[in-house]
Amino acid sequence: MTASGRGGVGRHLHRPIYFSLVFLTTLGMMSLLSVAIQDGGTTPLELLLLILYAILMLWINASFWTAAIGFVRLLRLPDMPEQPRDQTTAPFPAVPAEEAGVPFKTALVMPVYNEDPERVFAGLRAIWGSLVETGRHQGFEIFILSDTRDPDIWVQEEMHWRRWVDELGQPARLFYRNRVENTARKSGNLADFCRGWGGRYRYMIVLDADSIMTGATLVEMVRRMESDRRLALIQVPPVPVNRHSLFARMLQFAGSLYGRMFAAGLAYWQQDTGNFWGHNAIIRVRPFADHCGLPKLPGREPFGGDILSHDFVEAALLARSGWKVRLADDLGGSYEEIPPTLIDYAKRDRRWCQGNLQHARLVLARGFKTLSRIHFAMGVMSYLASPLWLLFLVATGIEAYLRSLQAPVYFFGNNILPVWPESYTVEMMTVLLVTLAMLFLPKVLALILLAVKPRMGRLFGGVPRAALSVVIESLFSVLLAPVLMLFQSKFVAAILLRTAVGWPPQQRGDHQTGFAEALGAHGFHTLIAVVAGLLSYHYVPSFFWWFTPVLAGLALSIPVSMITSRTSLGMLARRAGLFLTPEESDEPPVLRQLERNLAAPSPLLCGKTAGDDLWLRAVVDPCAYALHASLLPDEIPSRRRRHYLEGLIFQLQDEGTGSLSPAEKRALLSHRDGLYELHTLLWAGAEPPGARASHAGADGSA
Amino acid sequence: MGAGIGAALAEVVPGAVSAPSHAPALGPAEWQRASGRLGEYLAAMGVRNPQEVERLGEAVRTRLESRLAATPLEDPVESAIEETHALLDLWLAAELGLEGEASTLCAARAAVLGGGLPGWSARWAGLSERSLAPEIRALCIAAVPEPAPLTMEPNPIDLFLHRLARRLAGGFHRLLARSAIPESATPKSATRGHP
Repeated sequence: MTASGRGGVGRHLHRPIYFSLVFLTTLGMMSLLSVAIQDGGTTPLELLLLILYAILMLWINASFWTAAIGFVRLLRLPDMPEQPRDQTTAPFPAVPAEEAGVPFKTALVMPVYNEDPERVFAGLRAIWGSLVETGRHQGFEIFILSDTRDPDIWVQEEMHWRRWVDELGQPARLFYRNRVENTARKSGNLADFCRGWGGRYRYMIVLDADSIMTGATLVEMVRRMESDRRLALIQVPPVPVNRHSLFARMLQFAGSLYGRMFAAGLAYWQQDTGNFWGHNAIIRVRPFADHCGLPKLPGREPFGGDILSHDFVEAALLARSGWKVRLADDLGGSYEEIPPTLIDYAKRDRRWCQGNLQHARLVLARGFKTLSRIHFAMGVMSYLASPLWLLFLVATGIEAYLRSLQAPVYFFGNNILPVWPESYTVEMMTVLLVTLAMLFLPKVLALILLAVKPRMGRLFGGVPRAALSVVIESLFSVLLAPVLMLFQSKFVAAILLRTAVGWPPQQRGDHQTGFAEALGAHGFHTLIAVVAGLLSYHYVPSFFWWFTPVLAGLALSIPVSMITSRTSLGMLARRAGLFLTPEESDEPPVLRQLERNLAAPSPLLCGKTAGDDLWLRAVVDPCAYALHASLLPDEIPSRRRRHYLEGLIFQLQDEGTGSLSPAEKRALLSHRDGLYELHTLLWAGAEPPGARASHAGADGSA
Repeated sequence: MGAGIGAALAEVVPGAVSAPSHAPALGPAEWQRASGRLGEYLAAMGVRNPQEVERLGEAVRTRLESRLAATPLEDPVESAIEETHALLDLWLAAELGLEGEASTLCAARAAVLGGGLPGWSARWAGLSERSLAPEIRALCIAAVPEPAPLTMEPNPIDLFLHRLARRLAGGFHRLLARSAIPESATPKSATRGHP
């Protein structure tokens, strides 16, 4: 039996065990609450509270039991090895006769959209370096699938590509293409790759712009795919790394410590109907092309149109067609970077929220496996839970207020002895304590795991420091939870009101939140805290004190958001041994290489630096111009297009480069004919374009 | 002396760098303006050797005069840049034996202007005998591999509400149809399923 729990007759019991635990616990908690609130019948408000509580507890219990099962599974495994396991020496398994001896290739595909090219190429170079160290890199090729619209970034990507291609030499293993139209966003980008070059590869490993994977893991992923011909997708859980703000370090710590428990638990009950998280996963290309072409959903955005969170749907489509989709919880060497601040985290949520809510339409769609439906429902709940919690809090407040209006009656009829009203404090306290236990017990389990596994404990900074980190992280998560609740509730409301989400690129690098930004993002939260606090203190004082953790989070949201964004505090915590992760304590070589690549980036081709007005260089500088023109499709623009381009050229001549929008600049760069015309026109101008000085290294007179 | 711009091009592309005998000469002022900018353009391309610049300048001038014989020049500077460009393309096509392969020509241009091929400008200017074709070909890198297409069509997803709506509409339609046809008009075979 492997670490992911496959094999053996017991595997058929995994799901019944898991779902029974979730449902029985939820029933138990509901009965506790119903005893506490059903005093003399059930009012509509109490019924609403019960329903909301049932949904929310189902959600919490699902997480709790996933973590608890993961805890048990990890407890049974040996401690973390001193060095990462070298799995690359394992031979590839025997393949069926029809494929024996047929060499195959694996594409490392990285879809990018206006990402920082320095980071993209530094990451890819680190991954490739790690792959070369395994000695198995001959079977891999890198494909950068650019959907970049920003003309400067587009040109920069090309220069990085060309520089690296020259360094790698033959045979060519690094490919780059910029899509003319970025139809259907990331899923369309991947589909375009499959339609154009999918037949060249047996597998593709999908990377995000901030993904890092070790060569050993990449080779092992291919080995596992080769060993099971019905396996279409393996998702390797990515561990968050490389951010330094306090917020991000807390998140990295939580992701690394609790994340491995959750992954082990998920693999236990998902088995062969796992999920796809969009990146750090290997996919068998042919079934993906056969079954994962995504339709447009009927209706208008935000619920109709392109499927935004394509990954869940692709996994469900593969499972629907009888292919296996697995979570490789036992594979390490898979990393990603996370938003550095609370506000960036919320912005990312805004983008994901619409895609996940769209899945509500797919839960009952025909043909999907039950577990795929559960994945969809869980995706929806990850955002819908927030407005439900908000509703639950409001309903609880109203219920408390209504109860406070009832004057107690001690004497009934002619009885001279008083009848004391029944107190349900014990029951209510039990409900609260059980709920809190479900929320916080996974953190305790994770600490127990560290205590039992000494090597793992050391990598997290030792049990005492890890325990202190868990306490601090828990306090902050209590403060941050109501803020995220309001953010997500707002997003859900905006989407339900049919406000479409844009597709802004992520701000991935470390940066800090200033007062103005924090005030803009959290001013309303603070106002809500003040108003809700005053109202509850005035009308339901007993409720106010129960309510204080939520109010405190909202009232302090501005300073908390600013403080947690500080990299100095994050680094201070690191020096104090707090929030340490194994990736910080014993940094993997691939992450060290990434740091080195970022610290000393390769100079761009044609002697350009990233700060230059690169799109203009691509028009003016013969070196950049020739490179860019060589990467454009060989097509003649239509007459209408030609007129449009001429208009833009006149605009550029008359009003300068500042008058052009990024889309117009991109249009000028998109056709060889227009580019050539512009190139010669600018060189024939009254003043020569300033390209001479920057042409370093192109001296052909040597 | 190499076979670059002069002999080689003239051999491969007749008239590439020779003006017809009746071609009018370019005015000194016009040529001065054009040659100044041409020098800057060549420097931006990586051609800095004075001998090479002079040879290429002469070739461009000849081509300009040839052009002038056919049609008046709108702007000598712009024409000089265009002719430099054309001259480079002609040389590359001749060096590599290309015939109308626009993408390969573009890749070759990127290869020589990328700065990774020493001595290319001497060859272009006809000051070097050594062919650079193998080196240029090695530097002509395709950004994408040969196409290997797969079919990827959208897979239908039958949404529950749409299915439900279809069924309800179908049922409603059947109900309407049934109520519209009098009982006596319905053949028994249609309702009982046997002849």
